[in-house]
Amino acid sequence: MDNALHYAKQHQQDYQNQLIDLLKIPSVSTDSAYAKEVKRAGEWVVADMQRIGLTAELIKTNRHPLVYGEWLGAGDDKPTVLFYGHYDVQPAMLADGWDHEPFDPIEKDGFLYARGASDDKGQFLIHLKAVESILKSDGTLPVNVKFIIEGEEESGGESIESYVINHSDRLQADAVVVSDTSMATTNEPVIVVALRGGTKMELHVSGPKSDLHSGSYGGVVHNPAQALAEIISKLHDADGRITVPGFYDDVKQLTADERAAIAQVKYDEDELYAETGVPQSWGEPDFTILERIGARPTLEVTGIAGGYYGEGFKTVIPQKAIAKLSCRLVANQDPAKIFALLEKHIKNITPSTVKSELIYLGSGRWASMDIDNPVMQSAVQAYKNGWGYEPVFMREGGSIPIVAHMQENIGAPVVMMGFGLNTDSLHAPNEHFSIDHFHRGIQTSIHFMYEISK
Amino acid sequence: MSNAYEYAKQNQARFLDEYIHLLKIQTISTQTIHAQDVAEAAEWLKTMMLNIGMDTAEVILMPEGRCPLVLGEWKGAGDSAPTILIYCHYDVQPAEVADGWDTEPFEPTIKDGRLFCRGAVDSKLHVMANLKAVESWLAQDEKPNVNIKVVLEGEEESGSENINAFIAKHPERLSANIAMISDGTILDPKQPSLTFGLRGLASLEIHVQAPATDLHSGHWGGTVHNPLQALSEILAQLHDKTGKVTVPGFYDDVTNLTNQERELLQKTEPNIQREWADVVRAPQQYGEAGFNLAERIGARPTLEINGMTGGYTGDGMKTVLPQKAMAKITCRLVPNQDPEKITDQVREFIMQITPDSVDVEVIIPEAGAPPVRLDVNSVAMQAGKVAYTHAWGVEPVFELAGGSVPITFECMKIADEVIIMSYGLKSGRAHGPNENIYLQNFYNGIQSTIKFIEEVGKQHG
Repeated sequence: MDNALHYAKQHQQDYQNQLIDLLKIPSVSTDSAYAKEVKRAGEWVVADMQRIGLTAELIKTNRHPLVYGEWLGAGDDKPTVLFYGHYDVQPAMLADGWDHEPFDPIEKDGFLYARGASDDKGQFLIHLKAVESILKSDGTLPVNVKFIIEGEEESGGESIESYVINHSDRLQADAVVVSDTSMATTNEPVIVVALRGGTKMELHVSGPKSDLHSGSYGGVVHNPAQALAEIISKLHDADGRITVPGFYDDVKQLTADERAAIAQVKYDEDELYAETGVPQSWGEPDFTILERIGARPTLEVTGIAGGYYGEGFKTVIPQKAIAKLSCRLVANQDPAKIFALLEKHIKNITPSTVKSELIYLGSGRWASMDIDNPVMQSAVQAYKNGWGYEPVFMREGGSIPIVAHMQENIGAPVVMMGFGLNTDSLHAPNEHFSIDHFHRGIQTSIHFMYEISK
Repeated sequence: MSNAYEYAKQNQARFLDEYIHLLKIQTISTQTIHAQDVAEAAEWLKTMMLNIGMDTAEVILMPEGRCPLVLGEWKGAGDSAPTILIYCHYDVQPAEVADGWDTEPFEPTIKDGRLFCRGAVDSKLHVMANLKAVESWLAQDEKPNVNIKVVLEGEEESGSENINAFIAKHPERLSANIAMISDGTILDPKQPSLTFGLRGLASLEIHVQAPATDLHSGHWGGTVHNPLQALSEILAQLHDKTGKVTVPGFYDDVTNLTNQERELLQKTEPNIQREWADVVRAPQQYGEAGFNLAERIGARPTLEINGMTGGYTGDGMKTVLPQKAMAKITCRLVPNQDPEKITDQVREFIMQITPDSVDVEVIIPEAGAPPVRLDVNSVAMQAGKVAYTHAWGVEPVFELAGGSVPITFECMKIADEVIIMSYGLKSGRAHGPNENIYLQNFYNGIQSTIKFIEEVGKQHG
């Protein structure tokens, strides 16, 4: 193991350069115009696996390809670890507020800045580089490894979902490692033990048959942009609770122990202000900030468009206005049921002066993980030795639907070793990843493979 | 009885040829590539003014090479006689076959009594109808009892900045007893109408911001007030359930219609109801209770969201809590609302209802336009009524327009009375493809202006 740890340290610059190469490929999976780039990123990962000594292939799907790689030379008596990650990224444009081209990585103050640096190219590459370090220095691995790296995590992830269901035999493992999460500070690494699910929707509100002159017709037609705002304003009460009837019915209430565990992580309003820049916190008053993130569902408007919003004014009453809505769901909420509740509620509150339609765009299930199993304990030990600090267990606000699918279909414990920082600006301009975390992660992953082989 | 009317009828064919000649010149003021065309049209119009017997005619160049004004004057009625200023514009909107035209947009085509061409209704119809009416008068031995100024603007479709500046700088050049703005539409081909009011305009932008940058909606959702939601909550509080604007003081300065005005306006209601069913066609009517459609459009102010944006709305989904959200709002104003006071009131109310969990900024990007209401009993209105009745054989109805015609307010500064004499039709598709006008509207327009000149002369005499 020491050889591998040493090898990794010797090759830090190489590994970093490889990450930069991968970050240069704009593998935006949400926009079909980038399909070729997504494929190119997948091919890059396959080639890197083959160079290291894994058997690897690009698996065709209905949309973006999956990358599968394996090395099973440790033998049947050794455990098998399945690593999951994704090589696709969120959209990014300079105009969104980036300080530099989002796909032209720059290094600054110990961070790599680029779309996908932390989510998730930098993170999944850690495990591949850990495997490379062991194989190159020892010629063998203490465990069998499998990698499944998907190309559409940011845009639904249907392909991996069906692959996990239909090829669960190929993906059989004793432990599943998912690295797509983050921590507040380096000295308090986090293993996520709960994830929120989600439902994505689009709300369309329309009125007149075409855009109208706001002088000629203003005052006699319900403006669809106004009607949309009115509908959205009725989805929360003044305290930030969601008003959709039945929305909270299936939410599993936190036990006193769980609340105590959450309270162990210190996080207050000041930290929220510092990290987000908001003037004041917001949300359900009966829950702490971390409870709101980890254990409570949400309904967010993620985009709105209607009428003319370019330079100057165009005095129109728009024909329609749209909003994109996203729910974060917790145990035991059912995404399909939540969509149905919302659809019904929006229908009820839409005035007869306009038409509304709620369109379903996809969903993912929440997940929760047991902390007492040996896989989890191996991870704890690996952090202690490889990272340098003991991890804490946390509930995460984001959604990684594949975790629930792997739990159901592979049956192995999932351990979420997240290496990002909460301040990495995921999905936002100037996304970045700590170079120190990248290298500490490789050390941790090497330790993990040796720990679990015991 | 003067024979100006007969003269116009006898010369119809030539008048139409001249109208067609002007239509062929591509006077697109929004595109500098057509500056030469605009200049050509201006010269042609100046020459026509002199040929029809006006004393003086001048092409007045505008700063920075912008489209010129053409100003002609006939002072033959003498210093004691009143003066009419006729305003029209000779520039047009852009047009290309690809926009959906069935014919070449600058190749005038007559079909089923209608003339199809860009500018046919907006507004070369008015330029030519009025010039030909003036010609019909000046060709007579018995001259009109009023002095006549004709001013033709070349950049109505691209801002009108220069004519406003010209009026401010040289008010005496255009000053008159009656300013007649000839542009716009009447209610129906068979039903002429006189517009006695226009709404003003006030615009503002609302910017709502909470986090310093876009946030991952999973990581932070539930702890941060989403700016899109907060903007929606603010916008939702600007109207009550009945469609009334809730901004305190918003209606304070609104003058109610007089009984006479309300009765006059009532006659346009059936037409507006039909138009609602044809053009608006929303699931259900909307607006302030206690007012009919004609009143809501003409006599009541509005607050409209013209556009709103924030977050990600492209293909697929980006699960962000956006950093900011924005809405553009314009208010249509009625007498005696003041644009500046209204934007101040709206801004103050928005600041007041914005929760502490987000920051808001209200920007007022441009000065508004004040509302206009014209006296239905003025000398000009009475003359206009007689003129329309003569030309169409039907008495005009009085309507209130919901939009703004900024030149009206400028003309009120240089004339004792203002009247809007429109000969176009809404079905004429101004600004759209296949712009057209019934030839009969052109001929009626000439007769109407001839009569208007005669009537003003009489009433002043």
